[in-house]
Amino acid sequence: MKIRFSSAALLLFFAVTLAFFSVSAPRFATASTVENLMSGYAFVAILAMGQAWPILVRGIDLSIGAIVGLVGMIVFDLSLIFSVPGYVILPLALLAGALAGALNGVLIVYLHLQPFIATLATLAAYRGLTYSISGRQLVPGLTTTPIRDPWITGIETYFDLGGSIGLSRLINMPWFPLSFFIMLAVFALLQVLLLATRFGRDTCATGGNAEAARLAGIRVGAVTIAAYAISGICAAIAALIMVARFTTATEALGSGAELTAIAAAVIGGVSLAGGVGSMFGPAIGAFLLGAILIGLTLQGVPQFVQQIITGVILLAAVGYDRLLVLRRQRKLETAATGAGR
Amino acid sequence: MNADAPVLRGVGLGKTYGNLAALADADFTVRPGEVRALIGSNGAGKSTLIKILTGAVLPTRGTVEIEGQAAPLGDPLGMIRRGVACIYQHSNLAPAMSVLDNIYLGRQPTRALGIVDTGRQRREALDLLARHDIDIDLDRPVGSLPTVKQKEVEILKALALDARVILMDEPTGWLAAADVARLHATVRALKARGVGIVYISHVLDEIFAVCDTVTIMRDGRIVAESDVAAIDRPTVVRLMVGDKLAGEASGAALQQRHPRGTGVVRMSARDLGKRGVFGGVSFDLHAGEIFCLTGLIGSKRTELVRTLFGSDRFDTGTLEIDGRPADIRSPQSGMAHGIGFVPEDRHREGLMLDMNVTENLAMATLDRHRRGPLLSRGSMARAGRQAIDELSVRPPDGGKLVRLLSGGNQQKVLVGKWLGRNPRILILDEPTVGVDVGAKAEIYAILRRARGEGAAILVVSSDLEEVMTVADRIGVMVSGRLVATHDAGAVTQEQIVREIGGGTA
Amino acid sequence: MKPTNDRRDFLKAMALGSAAVAGAAAGVLAAPGREAGVIGVPAARAQDRYKMAFIQWQPHTVPAAWSKGIEEVLKPQQVIDYELLDGQNKVEVQVSLMDTLVSQGASVIFLQPIDSVALAPSIAKAKRSGVSVITLNIDATEPHAAHVEMNHYYGAMDIAKAMGDAMGGKGKVAILNAPPGIIIRDQRTNGFVEGMKAHHPGIEIVADQVADWDRKKAQDVLNTILAAHPDLGGAYGVNDSMALGAVDVAKEKGLLGKFVVFGNDGETAALESIEAGELTGTQYTDVYQQGRLAAAAATVLATGAVNASAFGQQSRLLMPYLIATKDNVGTIQASQRW
Repeated sequence: MKIRFSSAALLLFFAVTLAFFSVSAPRFATASTVENLMSGYAFVAILAMGQAWPILVRGIDLSIGAIVGLVGMIVFDLSLIFSVPGYVILPLALLAGALAGALNGVLIVYLHLQPFIATLATLAAYRGLTYSISGRQLVPGLTTTPIRDPWITGIETYFDLGGSIGLSRLINMPWFPLSFFIMLAVFALLQVLLLATRFGRDTCATGGNAEAARLAGIRVGAVTIAAYAISGICAAIAALIMVARFTTATEALGSGAELTAIAAAVIGGVSLAGGVGSMFGPAIGAFLLGAILIGLTLQGVPQFVQQIITGVILLAAVGYDRLLVLRRQRKLETAATGAGR
Repeated sequence: MNADAPVLRGVGLGKTYGNLAALADADFTVRPGEVRALIGSNGAGKSTLIKILTGAVLPTRGTVEIEGQAAPLGDPLGMIRRGVACIYQHSNLAPAMSVLDNIYLGRQPTRALGIVDTGRQRREALDLLARHDIDIDLDRPVGSLPTVKQKEVEILKALALDARVILMDEPTGWLAAADVARLHATVRALKARGVGIVYISHVLDEIFAVCDTVTIMRDGRIVAESDVAAIDRPTVVRLMVGDKLAGEASGAALQQRHPRGTGVVRMSARDLGKRGVFGGVSFDLHAGEIFCLTGLIGSKRTELVRTLFGSDRFDTGTLEIDGRPADIRSPQSGMAHGIGFVPEDRHREGLMLDMNVTENLAMATLDRHRRGPLLSRGSMARAGRQAIDELSVRPPDGGKLVRLLSGGNQQKVLVGKWLGRNPRILILDEPTVGVDVGAKAEIYAILRRARGEGAAILVVSSDLEEVMTVADRIGVMVSGRLVATHDAGAVTQEQIVREIGGGTA
Repeated sequence: MKPTNDRRDFLKAMALGSAAVAGAAAGVLAAPGREAGVIGVPAARAQDRYKMAFIQWQPHTVPAAWSKGIEEVLKPQQVIDYELLDGQNKVEVQVSLMDTLVSQGASVIFLQPIDSVALAPSIAKAKRSGVSVITLNIDATEPHAAHVEMNHYYGAMDIAKAMGDAMGGKGKVAILNAPPGIIIRDQRTNGFVEGMKAHHPGIEIVADQVADWDRKKAQDVLNTILAAHPDLGGAYGVNDSMALGAVDVAKEKGLLGKFVVFGNDGETAALESIEAGELTGTQYTDVYQQGRLAAAAATVLATGAVNASAFGQQSRLLMPYLIATKDNVGTIQASQRW
C-alpha cells in the first residue's frame, strides 16, 4: 500500500518536473532531449536498481562506481589487447561484476564489517586494480584506439520505433537506444525477483528484521551476498553500456557513480532503514535526476547550483523516508494505546 | 499416539561459556496439550534452555528429542521443520512486510523458478485464520498493527508451520490487561488442539491463570517441577529467588507505609493538561513518601511524568516545587530543580550500554568529580564502588560494561545514577519491567532507603502487585485523567482494579 | 581536397595575425547587428542567436584562461550566448553535456576532451547535427572542425634543449609527470625524451614519476626521487604546478641556483617564479590568445561563412610558444599573463 502510494507520488513529481521544464527550459520538450535522457541515464537507472539491493538488506554499496571502472577496463583489455571476441567478453564482464559484488557481501557477512567500511575499502581496491591492469598504460597507442567489436559497440544502437510504427509522421519521435531496452529488461527481471520470488521476500525480511529472518531459517548470509552480487552485476551492465557509448574505457570510468545511484534509489523510495523498496522507484529516481540536470543545463543554471539542488532533493527524499519510519512507529504507539482502552 | 508421550524432550542439556555454566544437566519435557510455565530470575538459564530447544544455540552436552526422535542440535531450520516454533520476547517480524509475507517468512510456497505461489499462500493463510478463529487483514504491513495483533501474527507464523510445540518468551511483556486476556484465550485454544506450549513469564498471575505445569530454574539448574495446582505463590517465589531473598521479599510486603511522608509538599500540580493527551491533573507529592501512579498502558501516565521532568511541555495548569512556581522547560531545568527521572526504556533512554558501570553511575554527577577542567577517575571509582555496594549490583565490578549486566542489575545502576545526585524528587517509570523477583525486592529496598532520606518518590507502574507492595499512596489514571488517589493502606487491590477499568465502556 | 585547403588557409591566416583576429571576427558579425534581425551572412543557418559553450575538463588555470580569451571575442558580439560548462573530470558528464548542447541547437562547442576516444562518438553525433566542435589542447580521434593546441611535442623538445644547456650538457634529470592515459602527457613526455636524445645525449633521465598535476604531490615525489638520486641535477614538471613543487623542494634544501627546474604552460605564478630567479624556465603559451583564436574560428563557423560539413579533414592549429627563462621573461607583457 505504502509502496504503491509513494510510487504514485514519485511519478507525479516526475511528471510535474517534466512539465515545468517543458514550459520553462528552451528546447526541453523535444525528441532529442528525450533521447538524451534515455541514452544518458539508462545506465544510471540500472546502477540505481542494483544499489537498491544492498540498501534493501540494510547495507550500502559504495564500490559500484569502482566496479564500473574495473569491468570497463577488463572489457577494454580483453578486446584491445587480447582480441577476445565480444560474445565471450559480455558474459565475462557480467561474471567479473558478480564476483566483485559478491566479494563485498562476503566481507560483510564473514568478517562482520560494516557495509559502509567494507565497500569503501573495495572502492579503493577496485579502482587501484583498474589502474594497475589498465591497457592504456601497459600498451602504448591504445589510448587512441577505439573498441570496434560489434558485440560491444552494438549496445549503442538506436531504434527508430516512431518511424517503424508510423508515428513519426504525426510527431517527432525520439529514437530509442538499445540501452533503454536493456534497462527495461533489467527492471522487469529484478522486479519479478523482488516481488514474486522467495528470494525477493527473503531479501525484504533480511533487511526488515535480520534476526527474525535468521530465526525463520532464512540463510541471511547467502541472501546478503546475493544482494551485493546483484549490485555488482548491475554495475557490470552499466559498464558495458558506457564502454559501448564511449568506444573506450578510462581508468576513472564511473567514479562518483555510487552517489548518484544511492541518491536515485533513495529518491525512489528505497528505505535506508532496510526492507522497503521496489525497482520502479530507483529507475524513476534516476530519470528524475537526469531530467532535472538536463533541464537546468538548458535553462543555463550554473552547475554548482545544480549540485546544490540535487543535494536538496536528496535531503528531502531522506527526510521523507525518515518521516515514514517515524510515522510507522507513532502509529504503532497509538495502536497500542487504542488497544489499551 | 500416546497423549502422555512428550512431544518435546531435552535430556541432560548443558551449556558452558568458557568457565561459566549457563545451563547444567537440564531435563525438560513438554506433552501435547500441556502449557508448561518456565520461570526463574534473569540469568537462571531460561534463555539458554530455550535457545537450545529452538536450535539457536548448540548445547555442550545432552540431546533433544521430538516425539521420541532425536533432533539435530544447533539447527534452527531443522527444529522449525520438526514443528518447534518460538515466539520471542522482542518482535521477530519484518515490520514493513505484509501479514501474509510474515506468516510465511522464509518458507513461502513456490512454483518453478522460485516464483512465490501467492494464490496458494493466501488460501492456506485464510484457512488458518478460519480454523483458529483469528481475524486479521493479511495485506496490512505488520508495523501498522497494534502489539497484540503482532503477537497473533507470530502465533499464526508458528501455526502455519504445523507447530507441535510453541515456545513463548514473555509473550505479554508489553500488552495491556485486556490484550493479555485475549492472548490467554488463544493459548487455551492451542492447548485444546493438542499443541504443547512453553510459557515463560515474570508475572506470576499469568502463570497461575493459564499454565498447567511449572518448571522453576535458578542458577542454571532446574530446581523444581510441579503441577501449578499443587503449588502456591510463596513457594514459587522462594524456589525462584532462594531462601534468603525470599525472606526479604515477604518482609517487604509487611513494611510500614508513610502516606504523605514528612507532610512537607515537595511538588504540587494543579490542573495540568496537555492538549489531546491528558488534562485536569492535580496532586501533591510529599517529601518522604512513595506515590504510585497506576493505570492501563495508554492512560498517559508516562506522558504526564515526562512533562514533570521537562522532557515534554504541558499546555495548561501550574506546577510548584517547594511552594514556588516552577517553569520546567527541559531535562536540564528539571535536574536543576532537583528532579531525577528513570525512564521506562532503560536501553534507549537511560543507560550508555557500552560504557561501564562506574561511568554510568557518574553520568549524572560529573560536576562532583571535576578537578579543574578534568575529571578525576579516582573520585569516580570511589563513588562507584560505594554505590555498587549500596545497590548490591552484581557482579560488583565497576569496570563491567552495562550491556553485559542482567536487566535487574542494569536497572539498579540506572536508579543509582540518579540517587547519586541526592534528588529531592525522584520519578521512576515502570522501574521493574523485565526485572526478576530478586532484583525487584532490591530495587524496592533502594527506593525505601531514599524515601527514608527524605526524597519524594513518584513511581509509574502497571504492575498492581508492585503498586500494592511499594506505594504509600496510589493514584489511578484513566485516559489522561487522574481519577482517584488513595492511601495505600486504606484500599484493596480489587478496588484499584475496578477504578482502572472504570474508564473502559 | 580543395575546400579543405581553403579552410586551412583561412584559419591559418587568422592564427598568424593574432591582433587581427578580434577585428576580423567583429567585422564578420557587425553586419547582422546592423541589419536588425536579419542575418546578413549567407542565411544557410538563419537564426536569431548563436549558442556556444566550452566544456572544460575540470576547473584549472588553463581552461579558465581559455574561457576568458574566448569570452573576449564572443562577448562583444551580441548575437552570441556563451557559457562555460564543467566536465567534472568525468567522461560521462562531458558526453552528457555534449548531448544536451547538441539538442539545444548550439552552433559551436569548444571542448577540452578528457579522453580522445571516449568523446569521439559525441563529436560524430554533433557533426551529424551540424554542430561544429573545436577541441582545445587534447585532440579527439574523430575528425572535427578544428583543434587548437599548445605545441606539446615540439615545445617539450625545446624545453629539453634549454634544460640541457642550463645543465651544461650532462647530469641526471627527473620527470614529474601527469597520471597516465592522457594524450598530452605522452606528447610532452615523448617530446622531452626525444629532445634530450637529440640535443644532449649526455643527460640521463633517471626517474619518471606521477605527481598528479599537483604542487604538493610533486614535493613529496621529488623528495623521494632525491633520496634515491642525491646527485640529481634537475627536474621537468609536465605542468607548472608540479615544477613549482620542485622549486619548493630546491628552496628547502638550499639547492636554488644549482638545481635546474623547468615547467610547462607558462602561468603567471611560473613567470613570477622565473623573475624571482627560482624556476629556471617554462614553455610559455599565450592561452588567452589560444582561446581567442578558437573563438574567432567559432564565429566564422557559426555564421556560416564556412560550413562545418565542409571539413573532410580537420584543421590543426599549433600555438606559437616561447621557452621563457630569466633572459626573456620580461618580454611577456602583463596583458599576456594568465
